[in-house]
Amino acid sequence: MELALKKLFYIMPFLFGIGFIAPLIAQTMAYWDIAAPFGMSRIAFGLLIGAPWGLYAVLRGRWL
Amino acid sequence: MTLDKPAGDTIPSTRDSAQGGAFAFSPGDAAIPLTGPDGLDKHVRRDLRKQEIAVARQFMGGGMWPYVVAAWGCFAIWLSFFPLAIMGWLNLPLAFVLSCIFATGGYVTSHEAMHSNIARPGSRNYWINEWVGKVSTIPIVFPFSMARLMHLEHHYHCNHPEKDPDYTDEAPNSLMAWYKTWYNRQPGVDGSIHHYKRILAKMGTPEAKTALRDTLKLQLLFMAVLFTMAWSGYAIEAALLWWLPRHIGLSYIRFYLSWAPHHPREGRTGRYENAKIFKSRLGHVMSMGMETHLIHHLYPNIPNHRTKQAYFALKPILAQRGVDVSSL
Repeated sequence: MELALKKLFYIMPFLFGIGFIAPLIAQTMAYWDIAAPFGMSRIAFGLLIGAPWGLYAVLRGRWL
Repeated sequence: MTLDKPAGDTIPSTRDSAQGGAFAFSPGDAAIPLTGPDGLDKHVRRDLRKQEIAVARQFMGGGMWPYVVAAWGCFAIWLSFFPLAIMGWLNLPLAFVLSCIFATGGYVTSHEAMHSNIARPGSRNYWINEWVGKVSTIPIVFPFSMARLMHLEHHYHCNHPEKDPDYTDEAPNSLMAWYKTWYNRQPGVDGSIHHYKRILAKMGTPEAKTALRDTLKLQLLFMAVLFTMAWSGYAIEAALLWWLPRHIGLSYIRFYLSWAPHHPREGRTGRYENAKIFKSRLGHVMSMGMETHLIHHLYPNIPNHRTKQAYFALKPILAQRGVDVSSL
């Protein structure tokens, strides 16, 4: 249990990228009426940004 | 409404009262040399300490109900923002500003509870003290059990590079200090709450284990709320009511409650030098009473709103003790 939680918290930035950043990007774009590029849906665009960004934060230990 | 008065006799503020102990007289003490590092002889120091305690006692206790009203009232209002936002009955920009204020100010009310200034342990109203502490720091996702343990460690080992949990906030200037408030929260950096978690794991006491468990639960709840709201179409609301106010609040708290009153930390572990008296550009209220933070470290039982008054009463004594009182 403890090990599972440790692993969960280790990958939390990645989950945060998918679980929060992606929909936040999509809904912010919708609020400002901005369309996603290449005919993508806004949420797909959000996931395209949020998931790699979260993964970067897991691997690098920094968001920027 | 007046809650239990803090015990005026609980003067010592630190566990390892090395500094306070300098005034304890025992028959075996040598008569010579009498002078201490501040140039005052032992008898003068002891007299000054007696005067200091007598003055400080006048400012301990008093009505603490505003802290209770503020803590519970602000928490209730903040909590109500979530259903109101979902129902579309909320002015989101205004709620965002208020959430930032609640997140930041919550630490002040919680801080009084950490020192049991609202009600003493064992008293009838102690549960009020505990619940003020518990709800106050929920917006910054910092459980009271962890906040209290870490804050008391900060008092016990103030400015010790390894033992003071807040030492990681140290920075050479204010710009770097603001940057560090953000940097220390990065997932791979051993600062802020990550540093606290490591200290708690090392402590290994039942209280530390409880604090770690509480942290885990609160962080999971925070993530669950953010993810659920975001994927239900309320990501902006979640960001403006909790995620951003938490970050803004934490940075503000770290800067004004940790860096500003303790900088520079290096080598300043003595009773009269571990915090400083300074003039804040934003004033006493906006800096959350930190201009006179030294008074809090000397006498944690003096409530935050009375430290400035206490400082002016203690100023002549502090000046004699070598404290730089020129800025205020």
